[in-house]
Amino acid sequence: MAQFVEIKELTSYSEDGRAVFENAGLILKGGERVLITAPVASGKSLLLKLLSGIEKPEKGQVLIFGEDTSAIDNEALNRLRSRLGFVFQDNVLISNLKVLENIALPLLYHSNMPYDEVMERALELLDKTGFRGDPWVQPGSLALYSKKEVAVARAMALEPDIIVCESLCEGLTEAEKGQISDLLIKYQENSNRLLVFTAVNDADAGLLRPDRVIRIEGNRFLE
Amino acid sequence: MKIIRYLGESVLRRFTVLSSVWEILLSSFLNLIFRFHRGRKATLRVLLKQIYFTGFEAIPIVSWIAIVLGLIIVTQSLSILPRFGGEGLIGEIFVWVVIREVGPVFASVIVIARSGTAIASELGSMKISKEITSLEVMGIDPIHYLITPRVIGTGISVLLLTFYFEAVSILGGYLLAGFGKNISFSVYTQSILEAMGFLEIGVSLLKSLLFGLIIGAVCSYHGLMAEKSITQIPQQTTKAVIGSLRLVFVMDAVITFVFFM
Repeated sequence: MAQFVEIKELTSYSEDGRAVFENAGLILKGGERVLITAPVASGKSLLLKLLSGIEKPEKGQVLIFGEDTSAIDNEALNRLRSRLGFVFQDNVLISNLKVLENIALPLLYHSNMPYDEVMERALELLDKTGFRGDPWVQPGSLALYSKKEVAVARAMALEPDIIVCESLCEGLTEAEKGQISDLLIKYQENSNRLLVFTAVNDADAGLLRPDRVIRIEGNRFLE
Repeated sequence: MKIIRYLGESVLRRFTVLSSVWEILLSSFLNLIFRFHRGRKATLRVLLKQIYFTGFEAIPIVSWIAIVLGLIIVTQSLSILPRFGGEGLIGEIFVWVVIREVGPVFASVIVIARSGTAIASELGSMKISKEITSLEVMGIDPIHYLITPRVIGTGISVLLLTFYFEAVSILGGYLLAGFGKNISFSVYTQSILEAMGFLEIGVSLLKSLLFGLIIGAVCSYHGLMAEKSITQIPQQTTKAVIGSLRLVFVMDAVITFVFFM
């Protein structure tokens, strides 16, 4: 299986100057389902920022599909990011766009699909999540789980090779956790896609069914 | 010594803001020229929304102010000019006041009050709620998707609103001149058209376009300056209004000086 993510000798600090990673290394391959656990403020959010290229490492390299996120220009970084899908803990939907427009946005921006096709595809993705609300409202008033459904549909819009979910199950009921993780697992299963979950512990491992569980401990990745 | 330090810091701060605003303007132009095709369907929608909100939705308030201003100018002119037998100068006064100065400035002030505040507060809120980071993570350049359409949209809107403002204020002036003072419409418009040359129209166009771009860039800059707390949104919005007004008036003085001195 191809290496999708390779972190080499990573050293990175938090905003307050505390070392979060020191000489850390990690390899994630296509076709894997990985759960990365760490206590609060121990590097999960920083890892997401490093994977998306928002944050650059102090030392070492973060390679996504073999490309060093620190060494490529913005255009190349944006192309790389379009091959990744992120589901944030707070969902972070675009507040001035309607639900459907949120899902359509990556497609409208990155693909040459006609507008009508984009909207059809967005609706199809939304249906897959089981979303029952009005797709033509702004997402601010939606319930947490509905927002999560929209965020997952948006992350899948460009059919990315890697999906990273930050604390996916946080604040959800057991039924909701099962539904949303099933949807993501179905997307990844029997494919060469990489699915990464982060969480504070492995309590939801039964639902997420990871192939590997990795802990961030002592500023390193431990398996 | 303290005063010198304070003044130095203040000048440096202003210079930093100005260079950032210039950077936004430059990036917007470069995006428009070289990266227009990229994400066109998404950015075009933002541009059209901006023009709709800033230009089209401002028409009622612009109409009211323009009509009232036209009435005021004609009233004041007709209260003074007949004493010197200068009724014929009404057209020139209209062009001097409305086309050269008040049209672009009033349209800009209205846009600052309506849309400048909206741009700054919306972007500030998006920044604090990490929506801008979310766009970056999706591979969408926020300057290309959010800022460029706002800057260009505000420029186009102020340009269109200025011409609309000038046309409506001329009509507003005729309400009094025609119905109150029995001046025929052809005499009234002839007097204005005679006083209006290419220079007046060109300068009005240049001013309005520049003012619009400045408003878009300044308000976007201040919106993006909101960092961590929601209380920064009103602070940055106020700074956006003051900064836009200051730059618009300074640019107005500079352009007037260059073309009419």
